[in-house]
Amino acid sequence: MIRTSLIAAVALSVVTGSAWAQTWTGGDDLPTNPLACDGTAAEAAAKPYDGGVPTNAPDRKGKEITVVDIPKLIGIGYFNATSKGIADAAKELGNVKVKTDGPTKANIDEQITFIDNYITSGVDGILFAANDPVAIAPVLKKALSKGINVVGYDANSTPDARQWFVNQAEFNGIAKSLVDNMAKEIGEDGAFAIVTSTFTTPNQARWIAEMAAYAEKCHPNMKWLETVEAQEDNVLSFNQATTLINKHGDELKGLFGMTSVATPASAEAVTQAGKCGEIAVVGLATPNAMKPYVEKDCVKSVVLWNPVDLGYAAMHVLRAVADGELKPGATSVKAGKLGELQVINGSEILLGAPFTFTKENIGGFDF
Amino acid sequence: MAVAAAIQRRSAASRLVEAYGQELVVLGAIIALFVIVGTVNPRFLSENNLINIFSGNAYIAVAAIGMSLVIISGNIDVSVGSLIGVLATIAGTLAVQGYPIWVAWTVPVLVGMAINACVGALIAYFRIPSIVVTLGMLSILKGGLISITAGTWITGMPPEFFIAQARFFGIPAPVYFMVVLTVVMALWMRYAGLGRAIYAVGGNAEAARASGLYPERICVAAFAMHGFFAGIAALLFATQLQVIQSTVPPNLELTVITASVIGGVSILGGTGTVIGSTLAAILFACISSALVFLNVSAYWLRAVLGLLILATVLADMARRRRHRVAGRV
Repeated sequence: MIRTSLIAAVALSVVTGSAWAQTWTGGDDLPTNPLACDGTAAEAAAKPYDGGVPTNAPDRKGKEITVVDIPKLIGIGYFNATSKGIADAAKELGNVKVKTDGPTKANIDEQITFIDNYITSGVDGILFAANDPVAIAPVLKKALSKGINVVGYDANSTPDARQWFVNQAEFNGIAKSLVDNMAKEIGEDGAFAIVTSTFTTPNQARWIAEMAAYAEKCHPNMKWLETVEAQEDNVLSFNQATTLINKHGDELKGLFGMTSVATPASAEAVTQAGKCGEIAVVGLATPNAMKPYVEKDCVKSVVLWNPVDLGYAAMHVLRAVADGELKPGATSVKAGKLGELQVINGSEILLGAPFTFTKENIGGFDF
Repeated sequence: MAVAAAIQRRSAASRLVEAYGQELVVLGAIIALFVIVGTVNPRFLSENNLINIFSGNAYIAVAAIGMSLVIISGNIDVSVGSLIGVLATIAGTLAVQGYPIWVAWTVPVLVGMAINACVGALIAYFRIPSIVVTLGMLSILKGGLISITAGTWITGMPPEFFIAQARFFGIPAPVYFMVVLTVVMALWMRYAGLGRAIYAVGGNAEAARASGLYPERICVAAFAMHGFFAGIAALLFATQLQVIQSTVPPNLELTVITASVIGGVSILGGTGTVIGSTLAAILFACISSALVFLNVSAYWLRAVLGLLILATVLADMARRRRHRVAGRV
């Protein structure tokens, strides 16, 4: 009796569930703001400057300054790349002495100690990528109170604890880049599915909502088959992607991976199914995990930002702040070879369109 | 005569149901899913999808063999997910650093056996409840793994390392591992002295001691064997994809324990078979594939598994009560 009810329970829950969850796309319900199809920058919503201001900062215009860069942690490929960008920019500027230092693991307490020590030793500028936006704020405010210029990149603090923050990518920018790359690879009438982490992961839900809005606006004939969740689980992502391939057969032309776990796992699923070249994989991922697939031509576009450019922009922003060129209320800032970067959200600087790693450039990155 | 034969046949069948009741239920559920989902979408029964179902959870099935041994012996291990993560990282690191492939394959298995033998010794000789020891191990292994790897992933293993991607006669290697290990262990548990001793100790440790067994040694042996299966599971896990994550799949230990329990291993020890846990692991893969085919959120997998656990435990209680009543009569 109980055994029969066991089987009945499985069947019932599977069937009721299927009647129930037909149309979920994986996006959230927040308003979306799709970019223009041709790549013109979005209108910057006017928002007053909400960053901090250093107390009695000396006039540093044109003078040589000493800067310390304190990322979340040192010794990993990603932050090696940002500090390379910072060093490149410092060399180009010629009037900056910069060094990168920081904890060897992503630990907020150690990071605070490092920043505190550099405040005591006397620097003109601090670049940081926060391990925790709130916990790092007091020590950054202390730096501001000593007249030190403070600029964040990669991971923000609360806005009033630093002057500016270089934002690597906005949701609508990532969404546009993903969908444009997919359309380029599978055509305007191709059908695709998405492998994401979970319903409730805020970043992924935001990206998917923006992707849906952008696809509707700029690629209306592409067919959105479905979105499956795979948590942050390698093997589950692989199994889910494989199941999608089996379920949709030849109709499925493309897979989006929404996390750095789901993208390589989807690529592996396509590889092991022998569908390289028939099913495109486009996704967010770090280059190292994707190299095997990109080099085998199984994956053509991996979307992220370029951490070297991120560090480079952060250094230029800090120099511009120290020189008094980037003031509250500015709408853009010059960042060397990257050109004019746009000010968004009051006190953030947008790095620009996301970076697409391809077979030609992926070998140059190690993170 | 014919009637007598029929009675005998029926009692043979009922004995089969009695001995493998839960296994048959799980098998029935798998077949039911094949029929229902296959009718809705015939692609569910395509060769590729069947292969995916049988190989996708093979590493969970292998880990669940070891877990079943431990639970049958009257203990539990909540650290197996972290252990698999650590062993996979060891295997990947050795392979990347250029050690011979057989070293990268055998060291994690030996390390798994050594670690779990120590765990078993702590439980058996210091009389600490297994859930406490393994909860401690869970934190030690998980924390240690994140600290040592600093969260970076292992990539760039040599191509011959990927044993789980090998195929023989079109069937992926993990399926062979799952089937062979399950069959061997099912026979071993039934016929070998140590196998039967594990049941005896799990059923009643003091009675087992009175009959000349050494429950402590058997506990250590069960955990060491569990470490062996965790090592094999880690290899299958590490070599399935091109990257090894430093974060263990969330709730892996619970999935493994669930496979054992749903497969009919009594959480109180002493009964169950490894065939059941393997079938249950296949059932999970089956359900999770079916959910995609039926457009159901993967979150239902958790809900369905929860239902299954409750139903199984209820069935187990009912069975025990029936036995007690029968015993009194």
